[in-house]
Amino acid sequence: MKTVDTRGHTCPAPLIMTRQGLNEAAADEDVQVIIDNPTSLSNVKRYLSDNRLEFTVREEGGLSVVTVARGEKTDLSANETEYCTTDEAPAHLGKRSTVVAVTSERMGSGDDELGTKLMVSFFRTLVLLEPVPSAVVFYNAGVKLGLEDSPVIEHIRELAEKGTSIYLCTTCINHFGIRDRLPIGSFSDMYQILNVLKDADHIIRP
Amino acid sequence: MAFDLLTTVETGGCSAKIPPRQLEELLKDLPLPADPRILVDISTHDDAGVYKINDETALVITTDFFPPMVSDGYEFGLIAATNSISDVYAMGGTPLVALNIMMFPSARIPMEVYRDILRGGNDKAREAGVSIIGGHTIDDYPPKYGLAVIGTVHPDRIITNAGVKEGDDLILTKPLGTGIILAGHRLQMAASGQLEGAVSVMKKLNTEGCALMQKYGVRGGTDITGFGLAGHALKMARASGVTIRIEMSSVPLLEGVYSLTDLGCIPGAAFRNLDYTEGDTQFAEGLDYNLRMIAHDAQTSGGLLIAVAPEKSRGLLKELHDSDHGEAAVIGRAVKREGPALVLA
Repeated sequence: MKTVDTRGHTCPAPLIMTRQGLNEAAADEDVQVIIDNPTSLSNVKRYLSDNRLEFTVREEGGLSVVTVARGEKTDLSANETEYCTTDEAPAHLGKRSTVVAVTSERMGSGDDELGTKLMVSFFRTLVLLEPVPSAVVFYNAGVKLGLEDSPVIEHIRELAEKGTSIYLCTTCINHFGIRDRLPIGSFSDMYQILNVLKDADHIIRP
Repeated sequence: MAFDLLTTVETGGCSAKIPPRQLEELLKDLPLPADPRILVDISTHDDAGVYKINDETALVITTDFFPPMVSDGYEFGLIAATNSISDVYAMGGTPLVALNIMMFPSARIPMEVYRDILRGGNDKAREAGVSIIGGHTIDDYPPKYGLAVIGTVHPDRIITNAGVKEGDDLILTKPLGTGIILAGHRLQMAASGQLEGAVSVMKKLNTEGCALMQKYGVRGGTDITGFGLAGHALKMARASGVTIRIEMSSVPLLEGVYSLTDLGCIPGAAFRNLDYTEGDTQFAEGLDYNLRMIAHDAQTSGGLLIAVAPEKSRGLLKELHDSDHGEAAVIGRAVKREGPALVLA
């Protein structure tokens, strides 16, 4: 059992400590959180139930002790797909997540004109993939494909409509000074981009 | 080392508001005045009251004050004044004059800090074309500061929570996440640059956004403050009788907000706001938990949420981008009311 003592800390520190404790504890280890104020207690409880973690609360000498019982659930940020993609998992259970990382305006190197054509063709075909990729991440010169007059913008729109998340690297957008010409996608920092890539089962780099 | 105002408070800025549900409960028994010249009162949860003087002019009247959200007195003054004046802009009005409202512990904090706060308020008021013509100070701890502002608006061109129409696009003019960044800063979790990003957003006046709302004939709008994007959108949807659908992946975020939220840096105000919205809000399946909480983050001096006819939204957005609101984005739309008033997807 891992214990997280949040006494003396005010909102949102107890929540951050709880989150950290859950991440540090072993996968099947219970985590006990000591909380000394009702607001933090209520927020931690809410956070745990929102993230579908089972817990019990007991009062002990003016303190609340929240015990998070952990079965097989591990990382809080883990999503369903992660549980289903071990090698042993039967294929029909596996909702494998594919992420496309686009780092350039063109596909491959050698001839720029050919590279542009190939990229258009790549996106046209990507839309037809079943299921569509869970996310497309654009960075470096790749972000330029998200411009309004990009030859693939309609395909990107179509992917977004089919449920693909579109991530554009904020640093890159600022670098190229094209912030106001991007009609689609969410602006993302490195942390978010890294998480999308980390959680992918497959990464395709055209 | 100058006095650090953050040592006086646990929650600053709009995080210090009374929970919205509790406030509605407290206010519901107070009789509303019946004067026909009152064009907007608290019944639609708007940003300011509006009082008709004649067919050409109505007064927009508002006040807002709060404890410090930053360390420096001058900066606190700038942000507090920006936030107070914003309520006039949110109604489509032109701010004219203001009064200082100050609570300050004269025995506990050096008096230069008092002067710095007022100087910040005054400078920002001047930038907005507002004259501060008086004020009131009470000895109190922790310090609190803000303005009571009076502006004018043409009675036919008032912008309210109730003016949203089905089919309107919704534009947000500033990135979200000031509450989360400020909390992260207090806990020394925010990287350098992230606080500065939030501060520059908080002290940016909504002057251009207001002018553009009028130029594009907008009638539905508000500013995003203590109740968070979700809370204010819900108030708009209810007052207008529509369902507002927000695509969280389109919402502009301050640098660092997402990662701080993921670490659990979620201020208590976000949970209070969630308590308020969830009864009438549908969270789309698969909506990222962090984005859900960011939607409920209490903003200090946030951007305008503008409901604009879809055929005009591109033009309005373009002009926002050209007027130093580079992060403004279309984040959702109003649809026919079916089921919950707010959908977060």
